[in-house]
Amino acid sequence: MTCSDVERMLPEILDGAPDGAFQTAFDLHLKSCPECSDLVSDLKLITNEAQYLAASDEPSPRVWVRIEAQLRAEGLIREAQPVRPRPTLVPALLGRRWGAWLVAPVAAALVAAGSYVVSHRPAPSVVQQQTPPSASPAPSPGSQSSAATEAASLPATPASDATASETASTTAAVLAPVQQPAPRAAGAKAVEPVPSPEDEQFLSAVSTRAPSLRATYENQLQAVNADIRETQAYVDRNPGDIDARQHLMDAYQQKALLYQIALDRIQ
Amino acid sequence: MMNLVQSRKSDRQSRSQGQRFMSGLIRSNRCRVGHLTVDRRQSRIDRTSVVTLVLACSLASSLTAAAFAATKEYRYTVGPHANVSVDTQYGAISIRPGSDNQVVVTAVFKSDNVEVDQQQNGNRIDIASHLLHGTDQPTGQVDYELLIPPDATVNLHSMTGPLSAERLHGDLTLEGAEAVVNVRDVENGHVHVRTMRGPVTLINVRNGHVEISSISGDVHLKSVTGTSVQASTGSGKIFYDGDFSSGGDYTFITHSGDIEALVPADVSADFRAHSVLGRVQHDFPLKPQHSRFSEEVGRSFVGSAGQASSEVVLRSFSGKIRLKQR
Repeated sequence: MTCSDVERMLPEILDGAPDGAFQTAFDLHLKSCPECSDLVSDLKLITNEAQYLAASDEPSPRVWVRIEAQLRAEGLIREAQPVRPRPTLVPALLGRRWGAWLVAPVAAALVAAGSYVVSHRPAPSVVQQQTPPSASPAPSPGSQSSAATEAASLPATPASDATASETASTTAAVLAPVQQPAPRAAGAKAVEPVPSPEDEQFLSAVSTRAPSLRATYENQLQAVNADIRETQAYVDRNPGDIDARQHLMDAYQQKALLYQIALDRIQ
Repeated sequence: MMNLVQSRKSDRQSRSQGQRFMSGLIRSNRCRVGHLTVDRRQSRIDRTSVVTLVLACSLASSLTAAAFAATKEYRYTVGPHANVSVDTQYGAISIRPGSDNQVVVTAVFKSDNVEVDQQQNGNRIDIASHLLHGTDQPTGQVDYELLIPPDATVNLHSMTGPLSAERLHGDLTLEGAEAVVNVRDVENGHVHVRTMRGPVTLINVRNGHVEISSISGDVHLKSVTGTSVQASTGSGKIFYDGDFSSGGDYTFITHSGDIEALVPADVSADFRAHSVLGRVQHDFPLKPQHSRFSEEVGRSFVGSAGQASSEVVLRSFSGKIRLKQR
Protein backbone atom coordinates (compact mmCIF):
# COMPACT_ATOMS: atom_id res chain seq x y z
CA MET A 1 0.00 0.00 0.00
CA THR A 2 1.28 3.45 -0.87
CA CYS A 3 0.66 6.87 0.61
CA SER A 4 -1.67 7.78 -2.23
CA ASP A 5 -3.68 4.60 -1.61
CA VAL A 6 -4.12 5.64 1.97
CA GLU A 7 -5.13 9.14 0.98
CA ARG A 8 -7.65 7.83 -1.53
CA MET A 9 -9.19 5.34 0.87
CA LEU A 10 -9.12 7.62 3.88
CA PRO A 11 -12.86 8.36 4.05
CA GLU A 12 -13.71 4.65 4.05
CA ILE A 13 -11.01 3.92 6.56
CA LEU A 14 -12.36 6.55 8.92
CA ASP A 15 -15.85 5.13 8.54
CA GLY A 16 -14.49 1.70 9.43
CA ALA A 17 -15.66 0.24 6.14
CA PRO A 18 -12.60 -1.60 4.71
CA ASP A 19 -12.29 -5.33 4.94
CA GLY A 20 -9.78 -7.23 7.04
CA ALA A 21 -7.06 -7.61 4.40
CA PHE A 22 -7.16 -3.95 3.54
CA GLN A 23 -7.13 -3.03 7.18
CA THR A 24 -4.04 -5.15 7.77
CA ALA A 25 -2.18 -3.55 4.87
CA PHE A 26 -3.30 -0.18 6.08
CA ASP A 27 -2.02 -0.82 9.61
CA LEU A 28 1.30 -2.06 8.26
CA HIS A 29 1.68 1.07 6.17
CA LEU A 30 0.92 3.31 9.11
CA LYS A 31 3.64 1.66 11.14
CA SER A 32 6.19 2.37 8.43
CA CYS A 33 4.99 5.82 7.37
CA PRO A 34 4.91 8.51 10.06
CA GLU A 35 3.35 11.07 7.70
CA CYS A 36 0.32 8.91 6.99
CA SER A 37 0.14 7.95 10.62
CA ASP A 38 0.04 11.61 11.63
CA LEU A 39 -2.53 12.35 8.97
CA VAL A 40 -4.86 9.58 10.13
CA SER A 41 -4.55 10.53 13.79
CA ASP A 42 -5.29 14.16 12.96
CA LEU A 43 -8.39 13.24 11.02
CA LYS A 44 -9.62 10.90 13.74
CA LEU A 45 -9.15 13.65 16.27
CA ILE A 46 -11.12 16.09 14.11
CA THR A 47 -13.88 13.56 13.60
CA ASN A 48 -14.15 12.86 17.31
CA GLU A 49 -14.17 16.53 18.25
CA ALA A 50 -16.72 17.34 15.57
CA GLN A 51 -19.17 14.90 17.11
CA TYR A 52 -19.36 17.16 20.15
CA LEU A 53 -20.06 20.09 17.86
CA ALA A 54 -22.88 18.23 16.28
CA ALA A 55 -24.44 17.53 19.65
CA SER A 56 -23.99 21.02 21.05
CA ASP A 57 -25.18 23.00 18.05
CA GLU A 58 -28.40 21.22 17.31
CA PRO A 59 -31.16 23.64 16.42
CA SER A 60 -34.37 23.95 18.33
CA PRO A 61 -37.05 21.40 17.42
CA ARG A 62 -39.23 24.32 16.39
CA VAL A 63 -37.05 24.84 13.33
CA TRP A 64 -37.81 21.34 12.13
CA VAL A 65 -41.46 21.70 12.96
CA ARG A 66 -41.65 24.80 10.83
CA ILE A 67 -39.74 23.17 7.99
CA GLU A 68 -42.14 20.26 8.16
CA ALA A 69 -45.07 22.67 8.13
CA GLN A 70 -43.60 24.43 5.12
CA LEU A 71 -43.13 21.13 3.29
CA ARG A 72 -46.67 20.12 4.08
CA ALA A 73 -47.93 23.47 2.84
CA GLU A 74 -46.11 22.80 -0.42
CA GLY A 75 -47.67 19.36 -0.64
CA LEU A 76 -44.30 17.69 -0.45
CA ILE A 77 -45.32 15.66 2.58
CA ARG A 78 -48.73 14.06 2.24
CA GLU A 79 -48.76 11.57 5.07
CA ALA A 80 -47.93 12.19 8.65
CA GLN A 81 -44.49 10.84 8.06
CA PRO A 82 -42.34 10.97 11.13
CA VAL A 83 -39.95 13.80 10.76
CA ARG A 84 -37.09 13.18 13.11
CA PRO A 85 -37.30 15.76 15.80
CA ARG A 86 -33.63 16.54 16.02
CA PRO A 87 -31.75 15.64 12.85
CA THR A 88 -28.17 16.78 12.66
CA LEU A 89 -27.05 19.58 10.41
CA VAL A 90 -23.58 18.20 9.87
CA PRO A 91 -23.75 15.80 6.94
CA ALA A 92 -20.18 14.61 7.29
CA LEU A 93 -20.96 13.39 10.75
CA LEU A 94 -24.19 11.59 9.95
CA GLY A 95 -22.35 8.34 9.72
CA ARG A 96 -24.28 5.13 9.43
CA ARG A 97 -27.03 6.18 11.79
CA TRP A 98 -28.70 8.14 9.02
CA GLY A 99 -27.30 6.87 5.80
CA ALA A 100 -27.71 8.09 2.27
CA TRP A 101 -31.26 6.73 1.92
CA LEU A 102 -32.57 9.31 4.34
CA VAL A 103 -30.33 12.19 3.38
CA ALA A 104 -31.29 12.11 -0.28
CA PRO A 105 -35.08 12.58 0.01
CA VAL A 106 -34.81 15.11 2.80
CA ALA A 107 -32.23 17.07 0.86
CA ALA A 108 -34.38 16.93 -2.25
CA ALA A 109 -37.38 18.12 -0.28
CA LEU A 110 -35.40 20.94 1.25
CA VAL A 111 -34.10 21.96 -2.15
CA ALA A 112 -37.62 22.06 -3.48
CA ALA A 113 -38.84 24.05 -0.52
CA GLY A 114 -35.83 26.33 -0.75
CA SER A 115 -36.39 26.90 -4.44
CA TYR A 116 -39.98 27.83 -3.78
CA VAL A 117 -39.02 30.18 -1.01
CA VAL A 118 -36.26 31.81 -3.01
CA SER A 119 -38.49 32.30 -6.03
CA HIS A 120 -41.26 33.89 -3.95
CA ARG A 121 -39.05 35.95 -1.66
CA PRO A 122 -36.06 36.77 -3.77
CA ALA A 123 -34.41 39.64 -1.97
CA PRO A 124 -34.22 38.45 1.63
CA SER A 125 -33.57 34.87 0.72
CA VAL A 126 -30.69 35.66 -1.61
CA VAL A 127 -29.11 37.93 0.93
CA GLN A 128 -29.52 35.31 3.58
CA GLN A 129 -27.81 32.71 1.47
CA GLN A 130 -24.92 34.90 0.46
CA THR A 131 -24.36 36.47 3.80
CA PRO A 132 -22.52 34.45 6.40
CA PRO A 133 -23.80 34.77 9.93
CA SER A 134 -23.43 38.25 11.25
CA ALA A 135 -22.65 37.01 14.71
CA SER A 136 -19.57 35.20 13.51
CA PRO A 137 -18.37 36.42 10.14
CA ALA A 138 -15.02 34.80 10.71
CA PRO A 139 -15.58 31.42 12.30
CA SER A 140 -12.65 29.73 13.87
CA PRO A 141 -11.02 26.77 12.18
CA GLY A 142 -12.58 23.54 13.07
CA SER A 143 -15.84 25.08 14.03
CA GLN A 144 -19.08 23.94 12.54
CA SER A 145 -20.10 25.41 9.21
CA SER A 146 -21.11 29.02 9.41
CA ALA A 147 -24.54 28.51 7.92
CA ALA A 148 -25.22 25.62 10.24
CA THR A 149 -24.16 27.72 13.17
CA GLU A 150 -26.52 30.41 12.03
CA ALA A 151 -29.34 27.95 11.72
CA ALA A 152 -28.61 26.66 15.20
CA SER A 153 -28.64 30.14 16.65
CA LEU A 154 -31.80 31.31 14.97
CA PRO A 155 -34.33 29.53 17.19
CA ALA A 156 -32.86 31.22 20.21
CA THR A 157 -33.90 34.61 18.88
CA PRO A 158 -37.54 35.56 19.21
CA ALA A 159 -37.61 37.03 15.73
CA SER A 160 -36.70 33.73 14.17
CA ASP A 161 -39.80 32.11 15.53
CA ALA A 162 -42.10 34.89 14.56
CA THR A 163 -42.73 34.74 10.88
CA ALA A 164 -42.87 32.25 8.12
CA SER A 165 -40.49 34.28 6.04
CA GLU A 166 -37.82 33.88 8.64
CA THR A 167 -38.46 30.17 8.66
CA ALA A 168 -37.99 30.28 4.93
CA SER A 169 -34.78 32.15 5.39
CA THR A 170 -33.67 29.57 7.86
CA THR A 171 -34.41 26.87 5.34
CA ALA A 172 -32.35 28.68 2.76
CA ALA A 173 -29.52 29.13 5.21
CA VAL A 174 -29.61 25.46 6.09
CA LEU A 175 -29.41 24.62 2.43
CA ALA A 176 -26.46 26.84 1.75
CA PRO A 177 -23.61 24.63 2.94
CA VAL A 178 -25.27 21.39 1.91
CA GLN A 179 -26.77 22.04 -1.47
CA GLN A 180 -25.44 25.26 -2.88
CA PRO A 181 -22.97 24.55 -5.66
CA ALA A 182 -19.74 25.94 -4.30
CA PRO A 183 -20.32 29.67 -3.97
CA ARG A 184 -17.06 31.30 -4.98
CA ALA A 185 -15.30 34.42 -3.94
CA ALA A 186 -17.34 36.74 -6.10
CA GLY A 187 -20.53 35.78 -4.38
CA ALA A 188 -18.98 35.66 -0.96
CA LYS A 189 -17.34 39.07 -1.30
CA ALA A 190 -20.37 40.75 -2.81
CA VAL A 191 -22.12 41.22 0.51
CA GLU A 192 -20.10 42.24 3.52
CA PRO A 193 -21.63 41.07 6.78
CA VAL A 194 -21.76 43.17 9.88
CA PRO A 195 -18.31 43.24 11.49
CA SER A 196 -17.80 41.09 14.56
CA PRO A 197 -17.38 42.83 17.93
CA GLU A 198 -13.65 42.15 17.74
CA ASP A 199 -13.41 43.75 14.33
CA GLU A 200 -15.48 46.72 15.50
CA GLN A 201 -13.12 47.15 18.42
CA PHE A 202 -10.14 46.92 16.10
CA LEU A 203 -11.53 49.52 13.71
CA SER A 204 -12.42 51.75 16.61
CA ALA A 205 -8.83 51.59 17.82
CA VAL A 206 -7.58 52.43 14.34
CA SER A 207 -10.02 55.36 14.14
CA THR A 208 -8.75 56.72 17.43
CA ARG A 209 -5.11 56.38 16.59
CA ALA A 210 -5.10 57.21 12.90
CA PRO A 211 -8.46 58.36 11.51
CA SER A 212 -7.05 58.79 8.03
CA LEU A 213 -6.10 55.11 7.87
CA ARG A 214 -9.44 53.68 8.97
CA ALA A 215 -10.82 53.24 5.47
CA THR A 216 -7.69 51.45 4.33
CA TYR A 217 -7.71 49.07 7.26
CA GLU A 218 -11.43 48.47 6.93
CA ASN A 219 -11.03 47.49 3.29
CA GLN A 220 -8.17 45.16 4.12
CA LEU A 221 -10.12 43.65 7.00
CA GLN A 222 -13.11 43.01 4.75
CA ALA A 223 -10.87 41.35 2.19
CA VAL A 224 -9.26 39.11 4.79
CA ASN A 225 -12.62 38.19 6.28
CA ALA A 226 -13.92 37.36 2.82
CA ASP A 227 -10.94 35.08 2.27
CA ILE A 228 -11.64 33.36 5.57
CA ARG A 229 -15.31 32.86 4.73
CA GLU A 230 -14.50 31.59 1.27
CA THR A 231 -11.99 29.09 2.57
CA GLN A 232 -14.20 28.06 5.47
CA ALA A 233 -17.06 27.38 3.09
CA TYR A 234 -14.80 25.24 0.95
CA VAL A 235 -13.49 23.33 3.96
CA ASP A 236 -17.05 22.75 5.11
CA ARG A 237 -17.80 21.14 1.80
CA ASN A 238 -14.48 19.29 1.64
CA PRO A 239 -13.49 18.46 5.19
CA GLY A 240 -10.81 16.01 4.06
CA ASP A 241 -8.90 18.59 2.00
CA ILE A 242 -5.77 19.14 4.07
CA ASP A 243 -4.44 21.86 1.75
CA ALA A 244 -7.66 23.83 2.08
CA ARG A 245 -7.42 23.57 5.85
CA GLN A 246 -3.89 24.90 5.65
CA HIS A 247 -5.14 27.81 3.56
CA LEU A 248 -7.77 28.50 6.19
CA MET A 249 -5.05 28.74 8.79
CA ASP A 250 -3.06 30.98 6.46
CA ALA A 251 -6.08 33.26 6.09
CA TYR A 252 -6.38 33.57 9.85
CA GLN A 253 -2.69 34.35 10.06
CA GLN A 254 -3.25 37.12 7.54
CA LYS A 255 -5.90 38.58 9.78
CA ALA A 256 -3.58 38.36 12.76
CA LEU A 257 -0.91 40.11 10.70
CA LEU A 258 -3.34 42.91 9.88
CA TYR A 259 -4.19 43.40 13.54
CA GLN A 260 -0.53 43.34 14.45
CA ILE A 261 0.57 45.85 11.81
CA ALA A 262 -2.19 48.23 12.78
CA LEU A 263 -2.07 48.05 16.53
CA ASP A 264 1.64 47.59 17.07
CA ARG A 265 2.73 50.52 15.03
CA ILE A 266 0.09 53.21 14.95
CA GLN A 267 1.01 55.85 17.50
CA MET B 1 20.82 63.93 -0.21
CA MET B 2 20.30 66.84 -2.60
CA ASN B 3 17.41 68.02 -0.47
CA LEU B 4 19.62 67.92 2.58
CA VAL B 5 22.37 70.01 0.94
CA GLN B 6 19.86 72.53 -0.39
CA SER B 7 18.25 72.81 3.02
CA ARG B 8 21.56 73.58 4.68
CA LYS B 9 22.45 76.16 2.01
CA SER B 10 19.08 77.77 2.49
CA ASP B 11 19.65 78.00 6.25
CA ARG B 12 23.03 79.65 5.80
CA GLN B 13 21.67 82.12 3.24
CA SER B 14 18.78 83.21 5.43
CA ARG B 15 21.06 83.72 8.41
CA SER B 16 23.61 85.82 6.47
CA GLN B 17 20.78 87.91 5.00
CA GLY B 18 19.50 88.60 8.51
CA GLN B 19 22.96 89.64 9.68
CA ARG B 20 23.37 92.04 6.74
CA PHE B 21 19.98 93.54 7.46
CA MET B 22 20.83 94.09 11.13
CA SER B 23 24.20 95.64 10.28
CA GLY B 24 22.51 98.01 7.92
CA LEU B 25 19.98 98.85 10.59
CA ILE B 26 22.71 99.85 13.02
CA ARG B 27 24.57 101.88 10.42
CA SER B 28 21.56 103.76 9.11
CA ASN B 29 20.52 107.02 10.59
CA ARG B 30 16.87 106.19 10.40
CA CYS B 31 15.21 102.96 11.17
CA ARG B 32 11.70 101.77 11.81
CA VAL B 33 10.78 99.64 14.78
CA GLY B 34 7.10 98.76 14.73
CA HIS B 35 5.17 101.96 14.23
CA LEU B 36 7.96 104.08 15.73
CA THR B 37 10.38 105.88 13.44
CA VAL B 38 13.67 106.48 15.17
CA ASP B 39 15.99 109.29 14.16
CA ARG B 40 19.27 108.79 15.96
CA ARG B 41 20.13 112.46 15.85
CA GLN B 42 16.81 113.54 17.28
CA SER B 43 15.69 110.62 19.38
CA ARG B 44 16.26 110.38 23.05
CA ILE B 45 16.86 106.63 22.69
CA ASP B 46 20.48 106.21 23.39
CA ARG B 47 22.90 104.02 21.54
CA THR B 48 22.87 101.28 24.20
CA SER B 49 19.15 100.76 23.80
CA VAL B 50 19.44 100.40 20.05
CA VAL B 51 22.20 97.84 20.40
CA THR B 52 20.13 95.88 22.91
CA LEU B 53 17.15 95.92 20.59
CA VAL B 54 19.23 94.75 17.69
CA LEU B 55 20.76 91.92 19.68
CA ALA B 56 17.32 90.79 20.80
CA CYS B 57 16.08 90.78 17.22
CA SER B 58 19.11 88.82 16.13
CA LEU B 59 18.65 86.22 18.87
CA ALA B 60 14.96 85.81 18.04
CA SER B 61 15.83 85.37 14.41
CA SER B 62 18.36 82.66 15.22
CA LEU B 63 15.95 80.80 17.48
CA THR B 64 13.24 80.88 14.83
CA ALA B 65 15.62 79.53 12.23
CA ALA B 66 16.68 76.71 14.54
CA ALA B 67 13.07 75.72 15.33
CA PHE B 68 12.22 75.30 11.67
CA ALA B 69 15.43 73.60 10.67
CA ALA B 70 14.45 71.00 8.08
CA THR B 71 17.34 68.66 8.71
CA LYS B 72 18.98 67.09 11.72
CA GLU B 73 21.93 64.80 11.81
CA TYR B 74 22.89 62.33 14.53
CA ARG B 75 26.16 60.43 14.77
CA TYR B 76 26.97 57.45 16.94
CA THR B 77 30.11 55.40 17.39
CA VAL B 78 29.43 51.68 17.60
CA GLY B 79 31.25 48.36 17.70
CA PRO B 80 30.81 45.30 15.50
CA HIS B 81 27.29 43.97 14.91
CA ALA B 82 25.48 47.06 16.09
CA ASN B 83 21.69 47.08 16.35
CA VAL B 84 19.92 50.00 14.72
CA SER B 85 16.18 50.60 14.96
CA VAL B 86 14.19 53.35 13.25
CA ASP B 87 10.46 53.75 13.83
CA THR B 88 8.41 56.45 12.15
CA GLN B 89 4.73 56.79 11.48
CA TYR B 90 5.06 58.63 8.19
CA GLY B 91 8.06 58.90 5.96
CA ALA B 92 10.78 57.13 4.05
CA ILE B 93 13.68 55.23 5.53
CA SER B 94 16.67 54.33 3.44
CA ILE B 95 19.71 52.57 4.73
CA ARG B 96 23.12 52.04 3.15
CA PRO B 97 26.54 50.91 4.28
CA GLY B 98 28.89 53.53 5.71
CA SER B 99 31.93 53.22 7.89
CA ASP B 100 32.52 50.16 10.06
CA ASN B 101 32.16 51.91 13.40
CA GLN B 102 29.79 54.77 12.88
CA VAL B 103 26.07 55.23 12.41
CA VAL B 104 25.00 58.46 10.76
CA VAL B 105 21.30 59.30 10.80
CA THR B 106 19.96 62.22 8.80
CA ALA B 107 16.36 63.18 9.52
CA VAL B 108 14.51 65.49 7.14
CA PHE B 109 11.43 67.10 8.69
CA LYS B 110 8.37 68.49 6.94
CA SER B 111 7.26 70.52 9.92
CA ASP B 112 8.11 71.17 13.54
CA ASN B 113 5.19 69.00 14.70
CA VAL B 114 7.48 66.00 15.05
CA GLU B 115 10.31 65.31 17.43
CA VAL B 116 12.94 62.66 17.12
CA ASP B 117 13.50 60.52 20.19
CA GLN B 118 16.95 58.99 19.91
CA GLN B 119 19.17 57.13 22.26
CA GLN B 120 22.20 54.91 22.28
CA ASN B 121 22.64 52.11 24.76
CA GLY B 122 25.98 50.52 24.09
CA ASN B 123 25.82 48.99 20.66
CA ARG B 124 22.12 49.58 20.30
CA ILE B 125 20.63 52.70 18.73
CA ASP B 126 16.94 53.52 18.75
CA ILE B 127 15.48 56.31 16.65
CA ALA B 128 11.77 57.09 16.73
CA SER B 129 9.60 59.86 15.37
CA HIS B 130 7.42 61.33 18.06
CA LEU B 131 4.31 62.98 16.66
CA LEU B 132 3.04 65.92 18.63
CA HIS B 133 -0.67 66.16 19.31
CA GLY B 134 -2.81 66.78 16.24
CA THR B 135 -0.13 65.93 13.73
CA ASP B 136 -1.35 64.39 10.50
CA GLN B 137 0.44 62.67 7.67
CA PRO B 138 1.68 65.70 5.71
CA THR B 139 3.08 67.45 8.76
CA GLY B 140 4.18 64.33 10.58
CA GLN B 141 6.45 63.05 7.89
CA VAL B 142 10.11 62.53 8.65
CA ASP B 143 12.42 61.00 6.06
CA TYR B 144 15.46 59.19 7.38
CA GLU B 145 18.70 58.36 5.64
CA LEU B 146 21.10 56.12 7.47
CA LEU B 147 24.69 55.14 6.88
CA ILE B 148 25.52 52.12 9.04
CA PRO B 149 28.20 49.47 9.42
CA PRO B 150 27.43 46.76 6.85
CA ASP B 151 27.19 44.06 9.51
CA ALA B 152 24.62 45.88 11.63
CA THR B 153 21.25 44.41 12.50
CA VAL B 154 18.51 46.73 11.32
CA ASN B 155 14.83 47.17 12.23
CA LEU B 156 12.87 49.65 10.14
CA HIS B 157 9.20 50.56 10.65
CA SER B 158 7.19 53.10 8.69
CA MET B 159 3.49 53.04 7.97
CA THR B 160 3.84 54.84 4.65
CA GLY B 161 7.42 54.13 3.61
CA PRO B 162 9.09 53.64 1.30
CA LEU B 163 11.65 51.42 3.02
CA SER B 164 14.88 50.51 1.31
CA ALA B 165 18.09 48.74 2.25
CA GLU B 166 21.07 47.85 0.13
CA ARG B 167 24.55 46.36 0.26
CA LEU B 168 24.31 45.04 3.81
CA HIS B 169 25.01 41.68 5.39
CA GLY B 170 23.36 41.91 8.78
CA ASP B 171 19.84 40.88 9.68
CA LEU B 172 17.11 43.14 8.31
CA THR B 173 13.52 43.57 9.48
CA LEU B 174 11.34 45.94 7.51
CA GLU B 175 7.72 46.54 8.33
CA GLY B 176 5.13 48.96 7.01
CA ALA B 177 1.45 49.09 6.24
CA GLU B 178 1.45 50.80 2.88
CA ALA B 179 5.18 50.99 2.54
CA VAL B 180 6.90 50.03 -0.67
CA VAL B 181 9.82 47.84 0.37
CA ASN B 182 13.00 47.47 -1.67
CA VAL B 183 15.97 45.36 -0.63
CA ARG B 184 18.91 44.71 -2.92
CA ASP B 185 22.42 43.33 -2.84
CA VAL B 186 22.11 41.78 0.59
CA GLU B 187 23.78 38.56 1.71
CA ASN B 188 24.28 36.25 4.66
CA GLY B 189 21.56 37.81 6.76
CA HIS B 190 17.95 37.29 7.63
CA VAL B 191 15.53 39.44 5.68
CA HIS B 192 12.09 39.70 7.25
CA VAL B 193 9.47 41.90 5.64
CA ARG B 194 5.86 42.54 6.64
CA THR B 195 3.47 44.84 4.83
CA MET B 196 -0.24 45.33 4.62
CA ARG B 197 -0.55 46.31 0.97
CA GLY B 198 2.86 47.68 0.12
CA PRO B 199 4.67 45.79 -2.65
CA VAL B 200 7.90 44.05 -1.74
CA THR B 201 10.88 43.74 -4.07
CA LEU B 202 14.03 41.80 -3.25
CA ILE B 203 16.86 41.77 -5.76
CA ASN B 204 20.10 39.84 -5.45
CA VAL B 205 19.64 38.54 -1.93
CA ARG B 206 22.09 35.70 -1.36
CA ASN B 207 22.46 33.01 1.23
CA GLY B 208 19.86 34.50 3.49
CA HIS B 209 16.86 33.48 5.50
CA VAL B 210 14.03 35.33 3.81
CA GLU B 211 10.54 35.65 5.22
CA ILE B 212 7.98 37.93 3.59
CA SER B 213 4.38 38.36 4.73
CA SER B 214 1.91 40.69 3.10
CA ILE B 215 -1.85 40.91 3.11
CA SER B 216 -2.39 42.26 -0.36
CA GLY B 217 0.99 43.45 -1.57
CA ASP B 218 2.78 41.90 -4.55
CA VAL B 219 6.08 40.18 -3.93
CA HIS B 220 8.88 40.30 -6.51
CA LEU B 221 11.96 38.18 -5.94
CA LYS B 222 14.84 38.32 -8.38
CA SER B 223 17.98 36.30 -7.78
CA VAL B 224 16.96 35.52 -4.24
CA THR B 225 18.45 32.37 -2.73
CA GLY B 226 18.98 30.97 0.72
CA THR B 227 18.43 28.10 3.05
CA SER B 228 14.89 29.26 3.67
CA VAL B 229 12.89 31.59 1.44
CA GLN B 230 9.24 32.03 2.35
CA ALA B 231 6.77 34.49 0.91
CA SER B 232 3.06 34.69 1.58
CA THR B 233 0.44 37.18 0.48
CA GLY B 234 -3.32 37.14 0.36
CA SER B 235 -4.49 38.78 -2.83
CA GLY B 236 -1.06 39.90 -4.00
CA LYS B 237 1.00 38.10 -6.62
CA ILE B 238 4.33 36.40 -6.14
CA PHE B 239 6.87 36.51 -8.92
CA TYR B 240 10.17 34.68 -8.62
CA ASP B 241 13.02 34.93 -11.10
CA GLY B 242 15.96 32.84 -10.00
CA ASP B 243 17.46 29.38 -9.79
CA PHE B 244 16.16 28.10 -6.44
CA SER B 245 19.73 27.28 -5.45
CA SER B 246 21.52 26.95 -2.09
CA GLY B 247 19.78 23.68 -1.32
CA GLY B 248 17.09 25.63 0.44
CA ASP B 249 13.41 25.42 1.18
CA TYR B 250 11.36 27.79 -0.93
CA THR B 251 7.70 28.22 -0.03
CA PHE B 252 5.41 30.67 -1.77
CA ILE B 253 1.77 30.95 -0.68
CA THR B 254 -1.12 33.13 -1.85
CA HIS B 255 -4.83 33.08 -1.27
CA SER B 256 -6.14 34.53 -4.53
CA GLY B 257 -2.98 35.97 -6.04
CA ASP B 258 -1.07 34.25 -8.83
CA ILE B 259 2.34 32.68 -8.40
CA GLU B 260 4.82 32.68 -11.23
CA ALA B 261 8.33 31.26 -11.11
CA LEU B 262 10.85 31.75 -13.89
CA VAL B 263 13.76 29.33 -13.67
CA PRO B 264 16.75 28.34 -15.82
CA ALA B 265 16.83 25.04 -17.67
CA ASP B 266 19.42 23.62 -15.29
CA VAL B 267 17.40 24.27 -12.15
CA SER B 268 17.88 21.68 -9.43
CA ALA B 269 14.89 21.29 -7.18
CA ASP B 270 11.93 19.22 -6.10
CA PHE B 271 8.72 20.99 -7.03
CA ARG B 272 5.29 20.69 -5.50
CA ALA B 273 2.53 23.00 -6.62
CA HIS B 274 -1.14 22.96 -5.74
CA SER B 275 -3.98 25.39 -6.18
CA VAL B 276 -7.25 24.41 -4.56
CA LEU B 277 -9.41 26.29 -7.04
CA GLY B 278 -6.97 27.78 -9.55
CA ARG B 279 -5.03 26.41 -12.47
CA VAL B 280 -1.50 25.06 -12.23
CA GLN B 281 0.93 24.55 -15.08
CA HIS B 282 4.61 24.09 -15.89
CA ASP B 283 6.30 24.21 -19.26
CA PHE B 284 9.31 22.01 -18.78
CA PRO B 285 9.63 18.31 -17.95
CA LEU B 286 9.73 17.21 -14.36
CA LYS B 287 10.74 13.76 -13.25
CA PRO B 288 7.93 12.10 -11.34
CA GLN B 289 8.63 11.43 -7.72
CA HIS B 290 7.06 9.40 -5.00
CA SER B 291 4.97 11.61 -2.81
CA ARG B 292 2.14 11.30 -0.38
CA PHE B 293 0.47 14.15 -2.21
CA SER B 294 -1.75 12.94 -4.98
CA GLU B 295 -1.48 14.81 -8.24
CA GLU B 296 -4.60 16.36 -9.68
CA VAL B 297 -4.27 17.33 -13.31
CA GLY B 298 -4.58 21.06 -13.79
CA ARG B 299 -4.66 21.70 -10.07
CA SER B 300 -1.31 20.38 -8.94
CA PHE B 301 1.98 18.92 -10.03
CA VAL B 302 4.81 17.14 -8.28
CA GLY B 303 8.21 16.42 -9.77
CA SER B 304 11.91 17.08 -9.66
CA ALA B 305 14.49 18.69 -11.90
CA GLY B 306 18.26 18.22 -11.92
CA GLN B 307 19.71 16.89 -8.70
CA ALA B 308 16.72 18.17 -6.73
CA SER B 309 18.95 19.99 -4.29
CA SER B 310 16.26 22.44 -3.15
CA GLU B 311 12.61 22.00 -2.30
CA VAL B 312 10.06 24.32 -3.81
CA VAL B 313 6.46 24.47 -2.62
CA LEU B 314 3.98 26.68 -4.43
CA ARG B 315 0.51 26.88 -2.89
CA SER B 316 -2.52 28.97 -3.67
CA PHE B 317 -6.17 28.74 -2.76
CA SER B 318 -7.66 30.27 -5.89
CA GLY B 319 -4.75 31.85 -7.71
CA LYS B 320 -2.96 30.48 -10.76
CA ILE B 321 0.45 28.88 -10.43
CA ARG B 322 2.88 28.78 -13.28
CA LEU B 323 6.42 27.43 -13.46
CA LYS B 324 8.23 28.63 -16.56
CA GLN B 325 11.62 28.03 -18.06
CA ARG B 326 13.67 31.15 -18.69
